[in-house]
Amino acid sequence: MLVTLDNRDPRPLYLQIMDEIRRAIVVGKLKPEDPLPSVRDLASELVINPRTVSQAYQELEREEVVYVKRGQGTFVSPVNKKNSRERENLARSVAKRTLLEARRSGLSAEELIESIREVAAEEEKSSRERRRA
Amino acid sequence: MSDRRPPTIAQVIREQFKATGLSLRIYLMIAAGLLLVATFLAITDFINGRGGVEFAPELSMIPAFAGALLPIAVWHRDRPFGSRFLWTLPFDRTRHTLAKMLAGWMWLMIAGATFLVWLLILALITKGNIAGDEVVKLLPSTVIPDPVTLDPSLVRTMTWIPPKALWLVPFTSATATYLLVTAITLGFKHPFRWILGTVALVYLMAAIGHGLAADAFWPRLGRITNTLMEGRYGVDAVLSARTESLHTQVVLSNAERIGVWRALPKISDWLIATLLWTSIGITGLIAALYRNREQR
Amino acid sequence: MTTTNATALAVETTNLVKHYGDQVALDSVSFNVPEGSVYVLVGANGAGKSTTFKILLNLERPTSGDAKVFGLRTDANGPQARVQIGYVPEQQESPYPWMTSGRLLEYVAAYYPSWDAAYAAHLVKSLNIRTGKKSGTLSKGELRRLQLAMAMAHRPPLLLLDEPTEGLDIIARKQALSLLAEHLADSPTTVIIATHHVHEVDSLTDYVGVLKEGKLQAQMQRDELRKFVATQRPNDTRPLSLEDAIATLLSEETSR
Repeated sequence: MLVTLDNRDPRPLYLQIMDEIRRAIVVGKLKPEDPLPSVRDLASELVINPRTVSQAYQELEREEVVYVKRGQGTFVSPVNKKNSRERENLARSVAKRTLLEARRSGLSAEELIESIREVAAEEEKSSRERRRA
Repeated sequence: MSDRRPPTIAQVIREQFKATGLSLRIYLMIAAGLLLVATFLAITDFINGRGGVEFAPELSMIPAFAGALLPIAVWHRDRPFGSRFLWTLPFDRTRHTLAKMLAGWMWLMIAGATFLVWLLILALITKGNIAGDEVVKLLPSTVIPDPVTLDPSLVRTMTWIPPKALWLVPFTSATATYLLVTAITLGFKHPFRWILGTVALVYLMAAIGHGLAADAFWPRLGRITNTLMEGRYGVDAVLSARTESLHTQVVLSNAERIGVWRALPKISDWLIATLLWTSIGITGLIAALYRNREQR
Repeated sequence: MTTTNATALAVETTNLVKHYGDQVALDSVSFNVPEGSVYVLVGANGAGKSTTFKILLNLERPTSGDAKVFGLRTDANGPQARVQIGYVPEQQESPYPWMTSGRLLEYVAAYYPSWDAAYAAHLVKSLNIRTGKKSGTLSKGELRRLQLAMAMAHRPPLLLLDEPTEGLDIIARKQALSLLAEHLADSPTTVIIATHHVHEVDSLTDYVGVLKEGKLQAQMQRDELRKFVATQRPNDTRPLSLEDAIATLLSEETSR
């Protein structure tokens, strides 16, 4: 599943799609020059108005994350420094959502950052132990 | 999106003709079965020397009866009051109603013609009389046939040539009944209630009249009914050109029972009656269509 | 008849009122459905959803006010409006039980010159419609799928769907809605869906119209509505789904 939507997410659907595409590019699921799913296919899979998918793709095109080859569809842009900014944007986007969740639970940013470090360290440790075994 | 247009009337009539035929399939099959039985009976009668089938198209009330029942089958699933499927289709309601009615009528005419051809063939096979010249017995107009026996000398004999126009009677009578019943079916939200209500009202009036010991009521009602049914331009004039009601049986003074005519049927009576009752049907239909029209 | 919107309206009603005797079905309702959008109409049974559809199809005339489909008044241009509409009614019964599914499709095809026979065949296949079966013997679900095919095959610019997934099992529901999304990709279409199952059309929704007892309580974009309800209860920071938002809105009106 390249793109998954969250109905409870307050972000508009087209923004969710954009972020999901960006995420896929960053983690390597979509490589430069890879074709994006057609508007029709993605709309059918997500059960969403194709115009929303079109809107997302157009915005991504405007940000030069993707480009359109006439008659062939939409493709991931070739490697350039914009992709590294994408990583940054993605991280910020994830951070925003996590902070919101934390505040809802009454936690401060510092508590959250400390816990993230702890949990990341624990997970690294247990995965190393599994590899040894 | 204004390049999209509703279908043409020809297209609608064509589809309604096909669809109505499909919906009537089962009734047509039953009718065919009945005809087969009737054929069998007629032929066995002929073989046993009980005479042939007479081809008298004006006498059979069957097409008229079919015309009266047909609208019920045609409009059964597409009642005009409400949001039945037919009315969701992109065609003006009034024209649509007419198209569907026409489709049913076309099948009625086909059925009537088939029936007539069957009757003709049967008459030919059984060597019956095919509307040829007939020797008929006539009563003088002053005599009213009754249980009272009749003096044979009063009966005149003459040759009657049935006008070929009588062949049209099944078609015109069926059309008239079809129009009238269609008007009732389309005009009322609950046609059966109206029909039963009218019948109940008549009985109520009769009961009241009888209860009030108004002895003039019954005979008067009887006379009105008689004129309506058997008068010059009455219902029978439409259904059988009066050949049904003008023909009767009498007992002669020599105890012989014969069939006689009180008068010979006139084509002009039939024509006028048909026009009269068909006009009533058309008027009723126009009222029903107006009630169901699409635009304000 | 000026509009300040850049987007044309597929459906526009102005103070639409419908009375049945002394019962008020619609109370001065002004719908605005932009072209190309998916508009979800919600409300309890009897709230006025089906009545709205009937008026748009000119099966019923407004008591007052007017209804327009692509700029045409429905009460003056019934057939012209209907030729641009694909309709799935609430009732799940065949109009002519003795007709097979295939024959019914042919019947409808005769009325819509824009019928796409190849697309109809594709819909029949995708929706698993048995064309040889008498339509009176179909299950509710099969009939619903047939009704969907009948409505979509002539690619109408406006689809009016009254509980389109009613009677369908879970898989069939997802399939039908995915098919609808594909349909939207292939043909420019405006869709109005009247439904109780908001969660399954959630991501499809562009606009929501909330009807209660004949009145339009709210008419907003999907995200606007959720934001609106969220701001009404600032102490509750739980993320809201569309269904939650609508439920809150409907219950709030009751308690007021």
